[in-house]
Amino acid sequence: MHPAAWLVWATCAGLVTFTTTDPFYLSMIVAVAWFVYAAQRIPGPMARSFRVFAIAGLVTMAVRTALVFFGTVDASSVAFAALEGARLATLLVVFGTFNAVTDPFGVVRLAPRRFHEPALAAALALSIAPRTIAMVGQVREAQRMRGLRTAGWRTLPALAVPVLETGMDEAVTLAESMDARGHGRGRRSRYRPARWSTGAVVMTVCALVAAAVFMVAAFTGRGGLHPSTFPLTWPDAEPVLLATIALLAVPGVLPRQKADG
Amino acid sequence: MRRLRTLTFGLILALPALAPAVAGSAPACAAEASGASHAALVVNTGSQTTTYCVALDASSVTGIHLVQLAGSQFGLQYQLGFGGQAVCQLAGVGASGGDCFGSYPDFWGYWHGNGSGGWSWAGSGAGSASIGDGDMEGWVWGSGDSGTTHAAPPALGFNDVCKDSTPSPTPPPSPGGGGDGDGNGGGAGGHGDGNGGTAGGTGSGPAGATSTPGTDASASPHGPSGPNGSHGDDAKDRSPQVDPSTGEVVEASPVTALAAGVADDAGGGPPMGALLALVAVAALGAGGWFLRRRQISRGGG
Repeated sequence: MHPAAWLVWATCAGLVTFTTTDPFYLSMIVAVAWFVYAAQRIPGPMARSFRVFAIAGLVTMAVRTALVFFGTVDASSVAFAALEGARLATLLVVFGTFNAVTDPFGVVRLAPRRFHEPALAAALALSIAPRTIAMVGQVREAQRMRGLRTAGWRTLPALAVPVLETGMDEAVTLAESMDARGHGRGRRSRYRPARWSTGAVVMTVCALVAAAVFMVAAFTGRGGLHPSTFPLTWPDAEPVLLATIALLAVPGVLPRQKADG
Repeated sequence: MRRLRTLTFGLILALPALAPAVAGSAPACAAEASGASHAALVVNTGSQTTTYCVALDASSVTGIHLVQLAGSQFGLQYQLGFGGQAVCQLAGVGASGGDCFGSYPDFWGYWHGNGSGGWSWAGSGAGSASIGDGDMEGWVWGSGDSGTTHAAPPALGFNDVCKDSTPSPTPPPSPGGGGDGDGNGGGAGGHGDGNGGTAGGTGSGPAGATSTPGTDASASPHGPSGPNGSHGDDAKDRSPQVDPSTGEVVEASPVTALAAGVADDAGGGPPMGALLALVAVAALGAGGWFLRRRQISRGGG
């Protein structure tokens, strides 16, 4: 699948998430992201990022809601904060899905030469959390196999050193491999350029339609995108908009992408 | 070809950043003609609509502070509750005491206008809304818990409230001749130091006499009703005409009658959509789970 198609999908899913705080729409987006992740994940360390970002999302939501208790506490303000937090959490889940279904360096390759370096920095920054987590898992496993204690605060220095060292090694390896492929030298590899399959075009169009519908709904104030929390009311869901979110699930029913992206 | 790709890539990157900018610019351009920044406030008590072209004392104020500004500039009577975060009374209509839902199902519904007659129901409280130059705010007294059941403000545009010909409308003479005289003379500038643009600083408003921003509404000594007696009388007159002294458009609201009719059919709608959402979420969740199972059993990881 073309990385640009995933980029458009993630951007559109993010835009849809931005426009609403309705828990039904948000849970629908999370369900769609989970479905797409399950169908299209690329096996490897990056596939973990869905779980990592889902947990990060839950923590974000909890923190956002907990902040309310420093101010006026009533059901309305708690619900308002929880829905705002749910929107952030959904955004993180969408982002985790994007990381798990696509190779971040495939996305970097899309960038025109002028934007290449910022894009590369962005890709590295975005992929550092899941890579570090994968690394921590590896170091812990190695320590356990040698009979070392892996729980408690005292083991942190023993964990940090190999993780940081591996991180440095990986960065150097990455830089060398990118240099070898001609990145940053004004010429670009034409080796196996990504192709737009019919499926990729279909999913791109569907994602754009979904984002457009939600933008229109947001600007015209229709569809109950922001359920009232003042007074607190039971939220509502518009079947048309639910069907629109379902358009984002299209990549889930497309044939599975190859492991090498 | 490469230029096209550069353009597309840049556009994709810029799209999320543009969205809020576009959202903000549409209403803002309406007020560009006038020098000072103004927001339009429409108050519908159910029997009459009053509009205020409020001069802002900061680039962005809360919905609560806009009501306070209208109080100090035009003598709009108001009373706040729930720790100054909610509107209990406007123009003498509403629940007294600290509970703003004391007259439930009737309460002050809060709307955001798009500047050209369209209104959308505000999901969050006025204390957390940010109002800038050219924005429109509406308050409607009535029943209904959502934008589909509550009566909307009349279809007024920003220019109906803030006339193009009068860039900075002079604040009208104080209606009661009471203590709010100094508030009018100073205009927007006079309030900046005291209120600071936040609803939190309610304790020591410089326009004091006009209204009591009731952080503790039970202790509020009904100061507002004194200087604003004339406004309360206007409401009872129901005279749909322009009041020359204040420049306020006073007209009967035709919208209230619609509310009762809409309320019924909306009652049947919500469970259907919610049910559909739950079914769809369950189906997608199960589908994803099934796909994962199949991959793991095939050893795909």
